[in-house]
Amino acid sequence: MAATTALPRPKAYDDTFFRPISIWLTTTDHKLIGIMYMVTGILSFVLAGIFALVIRLQLSQPNLSVVDAETYNQLISAHGVTMIFFFVTIFLTGIANYMVPIMIGARDMAFPRVNLLGFWLVPVSILLYYSGFLTGGALNAGWTGYAPLTEKAYQSHSLGVDFWALSLIVWAVSGIMASTNFLTTIVALRAPGMKLTRLPLFVWAQISTSILLLVVGAPLAAAMILVEFDRQLGTQFFTTQGRPVLYQHLFWFFGHPEVYIMILPGFGMISEIVPVFARKPIFGYMTMVAALFGIVFLSMTVWAHHMFTVGMNTYVEGFFMFMTMLIAVPTGIKFFNWIATTWWGSVEFTVPMKFAWGFLATFLIGGITGVYLASVPVDTQLHQSYYVVAHLHYVLFGGSVFTIFAGLYYWFPKITGHMLSRRLGEWNFWTLFVGFNGTFLIMHTLGLEGMPRRIATYANASWATTNMIITVSSFLIAFSVLLFLINVVRSWNGGEIAGDDPWHGNTLEWATTSPPPPYNFERVPPIHSFMPLRDMRESGEVTTELEPEAEPAKV
Amino acid sequence: MAADILQAVAARARALFGLSLAAFLLSSCEGLGGISPIFPTPVSPNGEGIYNLYVGISIPAIIIFIGVEVALLWVVLRYRRSKQPAGYVPPQIHGHTGLEIAWTIAPLIVVLVIAGYSFVELQKDFQPISNQEMLVVVSGHQFGWNYDYGNGIVVHQEGTLAGDVTPFVVPVDTLVKLQFQGTDVIHSWWVPAISGKTDAVPGYDNFSWLKINQVGSWRGECAELCGVGHGTMQIIVQAMSKSDYQQWEQKQLTASKASPSPSPSPSPSPSGSPAKASPSASPG
Repeated sequence: MAATTALPRPKAYDDTFFRPISIWLTTTDHKLIGIMYMVTGILSFVLAGIFALVIRLQLSQPNLSVVDAETYNQLISAHGVTMIFFFVTIFLTGIANYMVPIMIGARDMAFPRVNLLGFWLVPVSILLYYSGFLTGGALNAGWTGYAPLTEKAYQSHSLGVDFWALSLIVWAVSGIMASTNFLTTIVALRAPGMKLTRLPLFVWAQISTSILLLVVGAPLAAAMILVEFDRQLGTQFFTTQGRPVLYQHLFWFFGHPEVYIMILPGFGMISEIVPVFARKPIFGYMTMVAALFGIVFLSMTVWAHHMFTVGMNTYVEGFFMFMTMLIAVPTGIKFFNWIATTWWGSVEFTVPMKFAWGFLATFLIGGITGVYLASVPVDTQLHQSYYVVAHLHYVLFGGSVFTIFAGLYYWFPKITGHMLSRRLGEWNFWTLFVGFNGTFLIMHTLGLEGMPRRIATYANASWATTNMIITVSSFLIAFSVLLFLINVVRSWNGGEIAGDDPWHGNTLEWATTSPPPPYNFERVPPIHSFMPLRDMRESGEVTTELEPEAEPAKV
Repeated sequence: MAADILQAVAARARALFGLSLAAFLLSSCEGLGGISPIFPTPVSPNGEGIYNLYVGISIPAIIIFIGVEVALLWVVLRYRRSKQPAGYVPPQIHGHTGLEIAWTIAPLIVVLVIAGYSFVELQKDFQPISNQEMLVVVSGHQFGWNYDYGNGIVVHQEGTLAGDVTPFVVPVDTLVKLQFQGTDVIHSWWVPAISGKTDAVPGYDNFSWLKINQVGSWRGECAELCGVGHGTMQIIVQAMSKSDYQQWEQKQLTASKASPSPSPSPSPSPSGSPAKASPSASPG
């Protein structure tokens, strides 16, 4: 009995990007909202990437003045804020918005209109931040915006900091809405048979991410509200006369879990992709779930490791050092389980699998340098140097961006009905892999030799060659992203037809059409394990195209 | 099979660790900048402690790095579909409790050892000291450092990119306690060859120390973004022999008695003149 292929499919949902604007503006469909989140994320990625190129031009040689120091400070701040708040987090919310309801066999999110409001707060937040540029200069204190540099006494000329603070308050409210919605959806709207122990690991990752954002979103908003009080109402919370370090505590109580908000969904995607392309079930499903929650718990107990140079009691520092190092344990479990999943497998090295492997190979470096940084004495040397810049890009680029590309190549066929070009995808992967490592690997050593981060220029001539290599490599990254954009635009309408299940996936999204109809499933397939589709394929219930795609969905 | 792989991994780890040791040795000679795999050779015992800890952490780190990367390469090369017999169906293994416990415990032991070693170093070199031979109050401002020796000498190290900043002079083999103060925003004092960073935060004092073991000059920079002049807040620490230091001290003292404002500079810096024009006006 072919559960998903026999029924005729109404082509109610047309798979082109071009739909009337009224549909985009008013839709409560989680899939369209998901696409809007993802497109917003990618546009932010491109914008922040352009900032990065200007930054790299400025640093390519000593004593350059491509931009002046004030503009430079605004650029690095806008690069960080845009990448972290408007690209990675937003994109990952989008892909989860699209996939989570389908993966649990639901028809939509639990609160479709909250979903709509939550999404539309994102452009509001972005516009608020960029309004700063129109008021005499945007935030210029780095994405972390340490007080008292953000205080009125040092920023009297512009409203950039105010717009940043307002933007993040709106952003936090939007994130809290999305998290509540995800948790309710996953708790309440699972299809019959979809027990918690049968949830796809990507959905588990989304549960842990949502819990984190729910807990730490409010402290971020609180910190920003206090910054605003200081600036506009004359309070003295974080001013030179107040307690600037309190700001750092509040900010990093949000800021460190935010790192995991940006990587746990990626872990989830890798846990979906690796088993599919190794043709083996995930190794240690329950330890994978436990590791996620281990990370959730630990990530909220480590924030002060960003503050080892402010002069804390050494026992307090020791505590934060120890908790930070402990995170290596659940992360290690996940690494070993992914390797064990592939061991004895039948590995198909497709583009999504390549990006998954690119992620494992590079994120490992970010994980190991994280242990160096956790060690308080070593951190006092590495802190705020280019070593940290390298580390955070290995975690956020090698981690988040590579997983995002893996997820995109994996799910693009489901979302659009078309495959991304494999040839361009290979070029995309290899140029990105080389460009990324060329850019960030030698940043470690630059930091070890004493180059601080966030300096607008430098006088030390012996750093010139290294910085030039970094700048050239960063343009290779830009080239790679360009290839990716070309691939997306060309494949969206013209790519090879994907069919329902081009990868022979394990999870429910592959049981419906590509793209799925507005109601997702005509009939939710039976669920007996965390790999319902594989079960159906094995029992012969589904005879979906196991050969290379012959034909698209019949109209 | 597994034993063979482990042996291969271990052999490679030994080979590569040897390489990295060679790189450590190479790092001591000045060549192409920015590619040293370790900090500059430390000249103060607390910097040495950090240096040794860094090397200590590197041993398990390099072994784990190479081991995992080799495993990653191995699985995708060895188990590719094209390498498997036609019609190969992989064993559907869902996990192995023993293995999963093993790779929970093993990393736990490694990080416990690293954390323990780090904590010992933390207790040894990062406590505020009281047996100093000299105390200097270092205060950061936008954009420069003031070094108050407490005996009337104040060195003003105003930030510049155009040339060398005024050096902060200390005698060799002398335990100098540094007391950090912030006067406006947060700054961070960092000379990699001496030790790690210490933040100068408004509102409370922070402490560090140095005991430089040779005559010479070392460079550093402010490491906390503090405004448009952040990149100009360069630091030079100059260690003099004790007799040279006494001469320098005498010169500073007579200079400060001769003029109403404390003399800013031991050796005139080429570009510090605008800042030196009003040294007494700088905040303290």
